[in-house]
Amino acid sequence: MVKIQYQFKRSTPLRFLSHLDQQRLFQRAFRRANMPVEYSQGFNPHPRMSFALAMSVGLTSDGEYGEVIVSEDIDVETFISRMNKVLPNGLEIVSANICGEGVGSLSAALSKSVYRIRIKVIPETDLAALAEAIQSYLALPQILIQKRNKKGKYVEKDIRPFIESIAVFADPGTDKVNIKMTLIYIEQQCVKPEQILESINNQNSAVFLIDPTIEIHREKLLITADA
Amino acid sequence: MNNYIEKNILPLVTKPITYLGNEVNAVHKIPSPEMIRFAFAFPDTYEVGMSHLGMKILYGLLNEEKDIWCERVFAPWVDMEEQLRRHDLPLYGLESMMPLNDYDFVGFTLQYEMSFSNILNMLELGKITLRSAQRKEAEPFVIAGGPCAYNPEPLSDFIDIFVIGEAEEVILKIMATHREWKKTGGARQDFLKMAAAIEGVYVPAFYAVSYDETTGVITAFAPVIEEAPATIRKQFIEDLDQAYFPDKIVVSYTETVHDRISYEIFRGCGRGCRFCQAGMIYRPTREKTVPTIQSKIKALIAATGYDEVSLSSLSTGDYSEIETLIKNLVCDAESGKVSISLPSLRIDSLSIEMLEEIQKVRKAGLTLAPEAGTQRMRDVINKGVTEENLMDTVKTAFEKGWGHVKLYFMIGLPGETLADIEGIADLGQKVVDEYYKIDRESRNKSLKVVLSASSFVPKPFTPFQWMGQNTPEEFKNKQRHLKASIKDRKISYSWHDSGVSFLEAVFARGDRRLGLVLEKAHQKGCRFDGWGEYFDLQKWTEAFVEAGIDPDFYALRNRDYDEILPWDFIDTGVTKKFLKAEAQKAEAAVTTPFCPESCSNCGIMEFKKGWKCNG
Repeated sequence: MVKIQYQFKRSTPLRFLSHLDQQRLFQRAFRRANMPVEYSQGFNPHPRMSFALAMSVGLTSDGEYGEVIVSEDIDVETFISRMNKVLPNGLEIVSANICGEGVGSLSAALSKSVYRIRIKVIPETDLAALAEAIQSYLALPQILIQKRNKKGKYVEKDIRPFIESIAVFADPGTDKVNIKMTLIYIEQQCVKPEQILESINNQNSAVFLIDPTIEIHREKLLITADA
Repeated sequence: MNNYIEKNILPLVTKPITYLGNEVNAVHKIPSPEMIRFAFAFPDTYEVGMSHLGMKILYGLLNEEKDIWCERVFAPWVDMEEQLRRHDLPLYGLESMMPLNDYDFVGFTLQYEMSFSNILNMLELGKITLRSAQRKEAEPFVIAGGPCAYNPEPLSDFIDIFVIGEAEEVILKIMATHREWKKTGGARQDFLKMAAAIEGVYVPAFYAVSYDETTGVITAFAPVIEEAPATIRKQFIEDLDQAYFPDKIVVSYTETVHDRISYEIFRGCGRGCRFCQAGMIYRPTREKTVPTIQSKIKALIAATGYDEVSLSSLSTGDYSEIETLIKNLVCDAESGKVSISLPSLRIDSLSIEMLEEIQKVRKAGLTLAPEAGTQRMRDVINKGVTEENLMDTVKTAFEKGWGHVKLYFMIGLPGETLADIEGIADLGQKVVDEYYKIDRESRNKSLKVVLSASSFVPKPFTPFQWMGQNTPEEFKNKQRHLKASIKDRKISYSWHDSGVSFLEAVFARGDRRLGLVLEKAHQKGCRFDGWGEYFDLQKWTEAFVEAGIDPDFYALRNRDYDEILPWDFIDTGVTKKFLKAEAQKAEAAVTTPFCPESCSNCGIMEFKKGWKCNG
């Protein structure tokens, strides 16, 4: 038995996949690629595969991680080329590693996400003023937001520790701006970029027009070295 | 348009991925001016349409032709429709995202009467003129086929060309005719005339109907041009084993209704259940061979990555070599973790042991269809299964650990009495009693028996085609009576809304005068009538009133045997004489044997020269 960890990209054509759709897609792609995927034992056997993160609908990414357990030895190049041959346009495996049995799960090793976001702003927003607002936002020692916990109750959460940096850039000729945001994972927890934009809106007067046409791209997903 | 939709519209709707046409095995071609552009339209949601076998066959078949590009289009869900209308964007074919009105053909498959309003809505969204007679030269030819095309009349105002019967061969003839016509530079009307001359093709514009002013029944139905035949003969594929079946099918990203490979192992059915339209119109029975099925399924799994195969047909247990087939498939599947499922099983045709072999671990619900509650009623409908068959089956199932049994019934069958309704409840009770006879140790811990009763809709080309449907009031009383007859808390009861069944009955046996009703209902916003949350009987009732048409005339009226029926001009091979004889046998509760046991001379052997059933 071999565990393969792989890094993949998801681009625009498949950005609307749900997490479940993507799971199904990979499961079928493994079968089309004739990958000897291991199945779990028990009542309802399922293929032993997982992703480091669930991707939300609409998200594109250059840095996603997945893993799969196969029953036969396979070299990295064969794995990548066979998979890329069967994956639809919009998904591509960029690298892979054969890991030993003892290697821990990917989701425990998440460290940072770097996002690039394109979002509408209210008309005639001044970029310099916006940059300033973000600076003062980042200067806050604590940023509390209301968050629903697993039981469905609202609890307060300080999101400041999850933010490393936010920078804003012009998107000339449009009613949009570009944002670069680096967010931190703490004990496998994180904050979604939309939540941060919303909290910026709440701290100041609203500047961002948050609607489903927001474009969010994950440039990088950093994982700690011990994975 | 593509980029605009992707960026500004799809993020706002549910399941955006289903509007992009970029699935695995979706066909993309480089268009050229000579290319025939065909939009295969399914008048229901993506999830329903993508489960449909006929679409997969024709999509593959048409795309095999270099100069044809067949794409798909489904009824957009209400949120997508709203966005398209708000942005004034046309409905488009998924693969190329070309507006519907730019295609050469828009081909609808007619699976269910309750999707007719979606057809009008899709034409409108595609910016195609609704009525055939008003369509301009450059607009697409709107073509339709499928089981509901056996009574095409209610749609005849909107469809240019109907294909009657199995389309695999006819559709290619139509395409060849289109190539010829294009070369001649002829007018729209010329093509329709050429198409009307193809066997199995019906062009409604070339036929005239007259009605009796007092009774409203049809007095004459005849072609008005020379090219159009008086009788349309349904088409069927003689050699199903060699018939085209795609090696690749489009794999949806989202979960569809039947999210698996559906492989057709035979067509037709010789059981002769008298309520069943499919059992009559798809005659004769034709099987594929075991090696063909095995190799095709293997190829499909390799091309799609699906992990489940369903062996489809009208009555899968009747396949002549079913045991060999399943043994071989289970053996093939074992290594690849592929599961096999069998839909539409008859109670008497397949042993529970066989079912257990297939579904090794999971003991999901067992669904059986006795259809009627008493033996007399089952004889009337020629269902041919006995209470003993049912009890044997459930006994074995309970012994093997099944605990959830669902039984399908119909109410409103011809000659039905309250005793027959009570029979449904009794049968449910007997199933419960059977469970308690099983040793406590070996039976499933929980028991659930579901009785599901749908309202019977008489269909054309069945022995019950002359019969009036029960009134909505009668249905309600019967449902109430059935509910009251159920005494055991282990039994639950579910039923279908009779409003939908009533409308289904109107359109199933309707004539061309219903075109106006359909148009009015569409204008009032009717669509997705098969979806409970969107069905609005009030709007339909208004549409009937405004059109000056009495729906009871179609749904509730008993017809005389010599009345001209709207679909009489179609010859399915099963003769009217046979249907009438069957209707009379039903009245006397006399059964007709299964075809392989004894031929009852339905007419199909005389229909096609040299054809011989069962060998």
